[in-house]
Amino acid sequence: MASVNWRYSNWLPIVAVALYVTVPVLCSIYYAVFPGGRFSLSAYSVITDDASLAAAATRTLLIAALTIVTLVATLVPAVLAVHLWAPRLRPVLEILCTLPLVVPPIALAAGVVALLRWGAQQGRGSLASEVSQFIQHPDLPLILVGTYVVLCLPFTFRSIDAGLRTIPLKAMVEGSSSLGSSVWGTVWRVVIPNIRGPVLFSVFFATAVCLGEFAIAATLNRETIPVWLFTVSNSNFRASIAIAVLLNLSTWILLLVATLSAGRFSALGKAKRKAAALDEATTLEKEAH
Amino acid sequence: MSVPVAPTPGSAPGAPPGAAAPGGGAPGAPPGARPPLLSRGRWDGVTTALRSPAVLALAPLTLIIAVFFLVPIFGMTTIAFAVQTDDGGTRIGLDNFLDLSSHSRAMRNSVLISVVGSLIAAVAGSITAFCIAQIKSERLDSVVAVFSSVLANDGGAPLAFSFIVTLGNTGIIFGLLGLEAIGFTLYSWQGLVAMYQYFLIPTMIMVTLPTFVGLRKEWTEANTSLGGSRLTFWRRVGIPIATPALLGGWILLFGSAFATYASAAVLIGSGGFPLIPLSIDSLLGSGLGAGGQSTAMALGVTMVVIAVVVLFFFNRLQRRSARWLQ
Repeated sequence: MASVNWRYSNWLPIVAVALYVTVPVLCSIYYAVFPGGRFSLSAYSVITDDASLAAAATRTLLIAALTIVTLVATLVPAVLAVHLWAPRLRPVLEILCTLPLVVPPIALAAGVVALLRWGAQQGRGSLASEVSQFIQHPDLPLILVGTYVVLCLPFTFRSIDAGLRTIPLKAMVEGSSSLGSSVWGTVWRVVIPNIRGPVLFSVFFATAVCLGEFAIAATLNRETIPVWLFTVSNSNFRASIAIAVLLNLSTWILLLVATLSAGRFSALGKAKRKAAALDEATTLEKEAH
Repeated sequence: MSVPVAPTPGSAPGAPPGAAAPGGGAPGAPPGARPPLLSRGRWDGVTTALRSPAVLALAPLTLIIAVFFLVPIFGMTTIAFAVQTDDGGTRIGLDNFLDLSSHSRAMRNSVLISVVGSLIAAVAGSITAFCIAQIKSERLDSVVAVFSSVLANDGGAPLAFSFIVTLGNTGIIFGLLGLEAIGFTLYSWQGLVAMYQYFLIPTMIMVTLPTFVGLRKEWTEANTSLGGSRLTFWRRVGIPIATPALLGGWILLFGSAFATYASAAVLIGSGGFPLIPLSIDSLLGSGLGAGGQSTAMALGVTMVVIAVVVLFFFNRLQRRSARWLQ
């Protein structure tokens, strides 16, 4: 009897933490769709009514798309290069990619502000001032794309690096080039399909970062969805809660998919499934004989 | 900035090994002597290497890291250490950091919130992780691992909104539990600590669960067969192995709480309860004059230094613990 109690008491803290995590979400959903105790989706009319939300959403999604493309297009070749041709540079790249972890986003924001102001101070028409103007354009703040790529690096580098380590990269590339494929053809047709999991992880993780990042966007006064939430909460609190719930849930789903895809498509898992399938096939064949 | 590019020529296989190494280049030169800087021999290897796929593949990422990370951080550090002298020039000095004494309240608040918040989360998180490990279900372990890593990344603006609705002055749970009677208010250090638990506890679970799961069954068995009790096991084996991981987790939580900006900014705003990240933001917004920018940069550098120290100790403690859990 006592041992049974002991076993159930193990669940107590787990349930408590689970409650702590779910209650605020449930409260937000209740607040958003039960104004005055009756079910109503009126808070979500802000989606169609408020053009500033559409603008913020378009801006955020554009930034997210550019961030994903830039991240994948620069990180994958770089990690490949250190694995294939320059193994001595791997530690250097690892340190560079992990460094953003030690810089809190608000500190990075301070640095970016310093840089942009320095550019603006170089006088009208000068190259630095033009570039500074260009990359903080209100409609497409490229400065956010660049900094978001940097913020994603610590996690995505680790994922892609680990993914490349589990596949016989050298053999693949050598085999493919001996069959007459170019280096980039090999990368595109052989290597990328084999690191689909880490690449997908990077895509989803980067999307989650772009949807959730607040510090840098707010400091630079660029209205992405989180910054819009903050602005609109003064005038229409229920709408900001309604959108915050959506944003929160989609971030969670993105991160969930990211974590799962990193595992699901991992070379190791795939090899295991392949081996199991092969095993089955050979036993069937043997039985047939 | 040039760090990642500079060693590339030497290690890029695109260039023949001899030519790429600086000093091995020009024919006729005595071995070991470097050819003159402007001769072709000196640069042959470099130009070949620059066209190699390794350099082509590394260049874009290096450029992005340089422009959007290294240069801003370098700029921030320069401004933080630059001091205006009386004759209009600048010198290197710590004056901007000494100015920070006017932000002592923000510093005290930040440290208080982070210490209290991380302590509570460390205790709650490790107890939870311990219980999860005791249940000994691989499925539960992996579900918890996924969810805790998702929640550990929380801390954005939506988190603050959900807490305002839940525990704010008109919040649902606030009214339900009658928290007003015990003097709780969300817009104070109590509220920040409560809100930070939302991502700190999952972080602690994420960090310590592998340790608790990794405490091997054989060790418990060895302990029992040698006549030890449950208590001896924890006193002589379990706790000594888990301590570095728990300590490391706590330090990581401290750093995470200290660096949190978004949720605190939404909850507290710029008034009321100053915190270091909030001070940086308001100083940056205050414009160019009044030396606000230099102070903001000095605060930024302080935050980076704290984060570096935190991660350094976290890594060392993790490694000590990991040694036993291979």
